[in-house]
Amino acid sequence: MTSATSRPLEYLEGLPGTTFYKLYQQPSTALAIFRRMLPDLVNVAKCFVMALLYLKDPLPTADLEVWVNSESKKERDNALSILGRLHILSTTLTGDNVRAYMITNPFAASLRQALTGAEDSHSFGVFSQAPEHTLTSITDLDEYARRQWEGVMGYMVGTSALSGQRDMVNLSKGVKQLLQAGHLVEIRGNRVDITKDGFGFVLQDVNTQVWHILILYVESAEAIGMDSVEVLSFLFLLSSLELGSSYDKSHMTPNQLRTLMDLADFGIVYQEHADATRFYPTRLATTLTSDSSALSNPVTGSLTGPAGPSGGSGSGFIIIETNYRLYAYTSSPLQISLISLFTNLKYRFPNLVTGKITRQSVRRAIEMGITADQIISYLLSHAHPQLRKHSAAQPNGKGVPASVLPPTVTDQIRLWQLERDRLRATAGFLFKDFTSLAEYQAPCQYAAEIGVLVWKSDRKRMFFVTRHEQVAAFLRSQKVGGK
Amino acid sequence: MPRAVRGLLIECDPSIKSMILKYDEERHDYIVEDLDDENHLVIKESQLQNLKVRLDQVLTAP
Amino acid sequence: MPPKRKAADTGRSRGASKRATPVPDIDISSDDDYSDHEELPEETNLKAVVNKFSLEAFSKKNQVEKTDPRFGYKDLSSLPLKRDHYNRPLWIEPLKGTITLESFSPLAPQAQDFLTTIAEPLSRPTHLHEYRLTGHSLYAAVSVGLKPQDIVEFLDRLSKTPLPESIRTFIIEFTKSYGKIKMVLRHNRYYVETTDPEMLQRLLKDEVIGPQRMDSTEGIIERAAPKMGGLVIPGTKDAAGVRETTQQEAAAAVARNEAEEGGAVNYGIDDIGEDETEEAITYSFEIPAAGVEVVKARCQSIGCPALEEYDFQGDTVNPNLDMDLKPAARIRSYQEKSLSKMFGNGRAKSGIIVLPCGAGKTLVGITAAATIKKGTIVLCTSSMSVVQWRNEFLRWTTIDPGDIAIFTSDHKEKFKRSTGIIVSTYSMVSQTRARSYDAQKMMDWLQSREWGMMILDEVHVVPASMFRKVTSAIAAQSKLGLTATLLREDDKIKDLNFLIGPKLYEANWMELAAQGHIAKVQCAEVWCPMTTEFYSEYLRESSRKQALLYIMNPRKFQACQFLIDFHEKRGDKIIVFSDNVYALERYALKLNKAYIYGGTPQNERMRILENFQHNEQVNTIFLSKIGDTSLDLPEATCLIQISSHYGSRRQEAQRLGRILRAKRRNDEGFNAFFYSLVSKDTNEMVYSAKRQAFLIDQGYAFKVITHLQGIDNYEGLSYATPAERRELLQEVMLQNESSADVEQVNDDLFSMRSGKRVTAKKAGPKRSAATLSGLAGGDDMAYIEYNKSRNKQLKDKAGHHPLFKKMERDRQRRKKEREMEG
Repeated sequence: MTSATSRPLEYLEGLPGTTFYKLYQQPSTALAIFRRMLPDLVNVAKCFVMALLYLKDPLPTADLEVWVNSESKKERDNALSILGRLHILSTTLTGDNVRAYMITNPFAASLRQALTGAEDSHSFGVFSQAPEHTLTSITDLDEYARRQWEGVMGYMVGTSALSGQRDMVNLSKGVKQLLQAGHLVEIRGNRVDITKDGFGFVLQDVNTQVWHILILYVESAEAIGMDSVEVLSFLFLLSSLELGSSYDKSHMTPNQLRTLMDLADFGIVYQEHADATRFYPTRLATTLTSDSSALSNPVTGSLTGPAGPSGGSGSGFIIIETNYRLYAYTSSPLQISLISLFTNLKYRFPNLVTGKITRQSVRRAIEMGITADQIISYLLSHAHPQLRKHSAAQPNGKGVPASVLPPTVTDQIRLWQLERDRLRATAGFLFKDFTSLAEYQAPCQYAAEIGVLVWKSDRKRMFFVTRHEQVAAFLRSQKVGGK
Repeated sequence: MPRAVRGLLIECDPSIKSMILKYDEERHDYIVEDLDDENHLVIKESQLQNLKVRLDQVLTAP
Repeated sequence: MPPKRKAADTGRSRGASKRATPVPDIDISSDDDYSDHEELPEETNLKAVVNKFSLEAFSKKNQVEKTDPRFGYKDLSSLPLKRDHYNRPLWIEPLKGTITLESFSPLAPQAQDFLTTIAEPLSRPTHLHEYRLTGHSLYAAVSVGLKPQDIVEFLDRLSKTPLPESIRTFIIEFTKSYGKIKMVLRHNRYYVETTDPEMLQRLLKDEVIGPQRMDSTEGIIERAAPKMGGLVIPGTKDAAGVRETTQQEAAAAVARNEAEEGGAVNYGIDDIGEDETEEAITYSFEIPAAGVEVVKARCQSIGCPALEEYDFQGDTVNPNLDMDLKPAARIRSYQEKSLSKMFGNGRAKSGIIVLPCGAGKTLVGITAAATIKKGTIVLCTSSMSVVQWRNEFLRWTTIDPGDIAIFTSDHKEKFKRSTGIIVSTYSMVSQTRARSYDAQKMMDWLQSREWGMMILDEVHVVPASMFRKVTSAIAAQSKLGLTATLLREDDKIKDLNFLIGPKLYEANWMELAAQGHIAKVQCAEVWCPMTTEFYSEYLRESSRKQALLYIMNPRKFQACQFLIDFHEKRGDKIIVFSDNVYALERYALKLNKAYIYGGTPQNERMRILENFQHNEQVNTIFLSKIGDTSLDLPEATCLIQISSHYGSRRQEAQRLGRILRAKRRNDEGFNAFFYSLVSKDTNEMVYSAKRQAFLIDQGYAFKVITHLQGIDNYEGLSYATPAERRELLQEVMLQNESSADVEQVNDDLFSMRSGKRVTAKKAGPKRSAATLSGLAGGDDMAYIEYNKSRNKQLKDKAGHHPLFKKMERDRQRRKKEREMEG
């Protein structure tokens, strides 16, 4: 859960206060941040906000601190800290010189507006007036989102050959540039190579991925002449839209329109064509700031999860057994190619792929730059409901929840990675043959100071550096000056 | 006269070091300097891949 | 002489084998007890039959499924999914016959039952199980009475995709030949029986079999197929007087209703018949006793081997054995299941039952004997087991002690009355060397009788040639093989299907553990890094000496010491296993614990074991290979393995079986602990992975412990100083190469083979000390290196061992440094 929220949170926290001021003008932004940024803390932070939101006067800190019992002090402090960093909460002095908390403005005003629905500020988008029967269905939207999103992933992983059955998704230049700018791929002429970061990216769960792309987009907004705050606000607006509804574009700024087009490439929004009068958010957008578990995103689940009555819940589809065999309920070419990155696949049935995780397959992945943690987090975020059920049912005497994935398997994957690290090599130079300890110590210390020293032995009077020119120069100057 | 010798500093656990030492006995074309503690030595840069392959073969279960 | 029942393929009498003992196998990796290299003529016949049992032979006609070039998987994705596929729990793959089962499906229990009857279990962890349909498994299926049509129906109904054509063909074609013919002994007369009129015609027309048919007034006999009828297996619910049928039916009906209410569909699989139905009719004709072997051989050669069944209820000639199970003997559900496969149609089928160690195999054998109630001979692997079997019989049945006798090198008794039970060893019975007078007399007596049943304990260990001798020497109407693992590193296990019979039942380890019948075990592999000195030596040594080095690794010793202390403090009873006797002694003596190996006299063994079981002060004992089978130790809760026999999966499973009886529960939900200590970066790691393969497929998980928590703070660790370690290394290097070998236990079948291997090689250490100056104080020398042989030393051109060269280099360098300073 935390991985899905922390990146956007980190990003926001890095923004200057002035940005927040601008952002919080929009009720949709206030609401989105309220819903999305705070769920980690078991709603303590939300409680604080709600309690203070409608108070006329600031609340003395002592009063607030009393609300939380002593065992949860840590959570309380954590909540207060985050609220501070997000410029939602600030402290002030009351008339009697008592420290008190208050919700900042414009956040407070915007949130109140969002909650009560007062004023037609267009903050939450304007529904389009188009007749019902022309609406694109949710199923179609899901299909579109999936196709676009998988197209992007597939492009990165290089599986375009697989999707031969459907039309190949043609990615716009904008998408490719963004991926490159974010160091997820390296493009050399016609060749596209996925980077280490790229691997980490494709193995994450969808929600985290979407946030990642969006943040990249905001960061690159300035470069293409857009105001990043405006873009960010717009993103928050999109996140609060309703799935299945279409929205009017007529009141949108050029920047917003531009953003819409770019996001359509990723499948985050849909419009019939660039000049359409309305657009639809897809599930990728609407679940951005929802409270529900990031893992139950049906976009990946719709074709990959077990279909039928039990299929609705959860999109986990991979089972890993203690004997290292892997069973994935999927027919998605993308998922199959992701799994094949670190698994020896044996059979493919219409709705299942089976294989085995072996030392060989994991080392192959490690060679490509994938880390054990990335593999494990991929398996974890796509773990089949059966695995979760099983681990929930395990007896645990110490109150520690049993892990969802078999611990022997995750341990072993890490061990296989460690195997590769058994030998670390650093290129450089070995300085040796010093006649005295003093002669050795000076350059050695110098090397340490300039940061090139990797190893030394006083006993052997030798040391190893990554670069030798400065140390050599130092030695020469010593000789001239000294002896 | 102090001098600098080019090479690759290898940091590893004692077993790996033992194996490298053993390989070096064949033709003395791996080691530039044995650094005398259990975990380090300096080898010829050109030999890294070769060494890795050999170690891999031995350490990996068939 | 009464007619004999011999093994299917005897054309030769005993004693005609060319070599008395198998040729040793040089290749370590296939070294697991036995790999029989003799190729006797009857073996080639056997091979031909065995080879026909493959799916590949049947499916070659079909198109080769494409292998995806990108990912390397076999692409079966074009198979159509049935609409309600999520309700059905099976995927069936047509190339190798692999069946994957969703064990969490509502239909899983029935599916599982059926699948264990028709297919080989490959892996059965928590969620998804894999089975394989093979000729052998189908053979087993038809032998318990399943019809091919039923098998096809069942698979088709439960499969997510339509049953592949090749599988369907395989099943139908295969069962046209196998399982169609039965050889039945009834009222002391022999009948060839079949339910298929076509097959009957074929038999009658056959040039060898036809003439065998005895002219009698009976002609072709038609009768209803035999059913379980009134046969009650003692100790089961029936015997307890509970009306099994109605209760079970009621329970089943309730379960079915619940399932249906829950939305699960049943597909009518419960209606698929399991044993022969009422309408089946059998056709049989009599053949003379002398013709039995001829007919059986002929059946095999025409590709339709005959199943043997013993209609013991109708046997009026052989005297009945007065024996019943005691009321205290409680038969568990899985034991009952296995027996019902054996006695399903009221006759005794020959075959093999596979149950995990500690799950009560002995009781299954005893119950079978108590059902047949005819003269029984039990064959074991060692004289210790012989004693145990006898004790078990006395414990669980009402048999008169005078009715059960022992035949070993120390005891040659007969039972008092006209029938009874004899317990002996394979070696006693199959000996080809001249016997002592008494032993010969015993053998003559054994061979002069007809036995109702032969129980073959630990059946997987016995090589084919020995089997043939045993089964041809002794005339038994039915044979029951018992084992925990049908694994052998060679492939000869398949021959057992024909020498004894098909696999009747195989239990699910995890299921039994979940039900509490066997202990739940936490398995761990502890990685012990080698010390530098030991490792450098290891890299130089030949493979035999290497073993000694990685077993005697001081860090492994410390780990062992630590674990023993840790578990003793928890109140566990600990067994430490070592195949290598040298190590066993060193470890045990150093840690001051009792130890037992082949050379330990019998009374001392008993004394030590008694103490282990009852004395609170004695909580750890060290055992050699002898502990693998010959000793009965019910109360150990922790097992530490410090040395093991290469990559033997069977041995690993067997060792685990020693603690599978553990009853004590602790907080973590595990009854018992199994540690395998391996030295890092040595061959031992490779073997370890192989050994665990079987257990991992049963569902066990081996945790890897790279560092023992708390060992750093442990006071009093042995070999903590470099000096001690050096000393140990010296001592190890001084050892004979043969010290590195695995123990040979004379009386024990398991070790006989490797024992021979030792004596075949040359012994004799060669060593020469290096200079002592190194030890004396050269700070660059950590130890003295011993050369393995003159040859190696001479080969080195410079005439110096590299170590000397290093010494020289260092000396020069130091000299130079001194010069420079001075």
